[in-house]
Amino acid sequence: MPGLFDRLDKEIKDSQKDGGISPLDIAKLPPSLRKIMRVMLRELQLTYPRICEVMDAMPEQDRLTHAELDEALAALSEQFWLIRIGEKEKAIYKVNLRRRAGSTLMAGIWSSLDEKLKGNPPSKPK
Amino acid sequence: MAGKIVSIHSFRGGTGKSNTTANLASQVAMTGKRVGVVDTDIQSPGIHVLFGLDEHKMGKTLNDYLHGKASIREVGYSVGDNKVEGEGRSQLAGKNLFLFPSSIKGKEISQILHEGVDFNKLNEGLQTAITEFNLDYLFIDTHPGLNEETLLSIATSDILIIILRPDNQDLQGTAVTVDVARSLDVPNLFLMVNKALPKYDFAEIKKDIEEQFQAIVTSVLPLSFDMAENASRDLFSLRYPDHEWSKALKNIVPHILNAK
Repeated sequence: MPGLFDRLDKEIKDSQKDGGISPLDIAKLPPSLRKIMRVMLRELQLTYPRICEVMDAMPEQDRLTHAELDEALAALSEQFWLIRIGEKEKAIYKVNLRRRAGSTLMAGIWSSLDEKLKGNPPSKPK
Repeated sequence: MAGKIVSIHSFRGGTGKSNTTANLASQVAMTGKRVGVVDTDIQSPGIHVLFGLDEHKMGKTLNDYLHGKASIREVGYSVGDNKVEGEGRSQLAGKNLFLFPSSIKGKEISQILHEGVDFNKLNEGLQTAITEFNLDYLFIDTHPGLNEETLLSIATSDILIIILRPDNQDLQGTAVTVDVARSLDVPNLFLMVNKALPKYDFAEIKKDIEEQFQAIVTSVLPLSFDMAENASRDLFSLRYPDHEWSKALKNIVPHILNAK
């Protein structure tokens, strides 16, 4: 029977599959959220109090109020651009980067390439 | 945040990006800093050649890490602890320089192209490499052009060095990259001009490009037949420290060390 950690891990992995943010999406965010995203990319995850610290250290014109910040974090989490673990003050946030999709070329091309690389000529089309 | 991430990028191929990355990382390691070099050019890896690492010596790779078959600790190859050929490269003995190579096996490259890349895992690997190897600087050798791996490395970098040739195609592409870097708030953006014909006035090239992009041009490096003749067999700036190319390259080091 899976334990709590396994269930949480599965929940995070499932939500990661559902989407995520691309660096170009990050570029389009307001300056304060962009800054938080950059710090989160580097520190991998941030606690809510740490996010507030980062926000409070920003220039006044870029700073969001705590209510605006909460709203922004909720919106980003809803889009799966952030993954939230826990609630309110105890929440931990992680950036969820969008996976680069594999090539949409027919799978047959890759198996042919693999065969060639192994030294086996690809089978002839019927 | 501990170590700094230095991304080396060029909009077009053939600008000398991997050579510049390997030489710059080595020069920074020679100052006593702990340095890592990650080859995120997964589809056309090559920087390992400059450090004398061939397919037979290559152990775990970034591909293994991305597929969950190895930890980032297992991927890091200590250049300073391994005996390598080459008058230049051998000067790195005992230095703290770690290479995180990408696989050069066709099957593994095709697998990544086919399956895509988990950027959460890639980013985690970059940040973990810094902490696990206690790095002062992590250099990222990117694929040319603006693909998603490159954008991620730009988004997470403290220092971005864009290499360009004095060529109109390069200039136009660089303009796009500079715009993207600025919109991602990269704290330190530098340009480096490579392969400038020696008959040009380098001071004028520097001034023109700085005016055009409103960014610092750290150095203008000449097109060099000596460099071409070296053919990635050795680390040129260590082997020929008094060569014009090497001297110009070494001018970039203080920009990296002094960046905030």
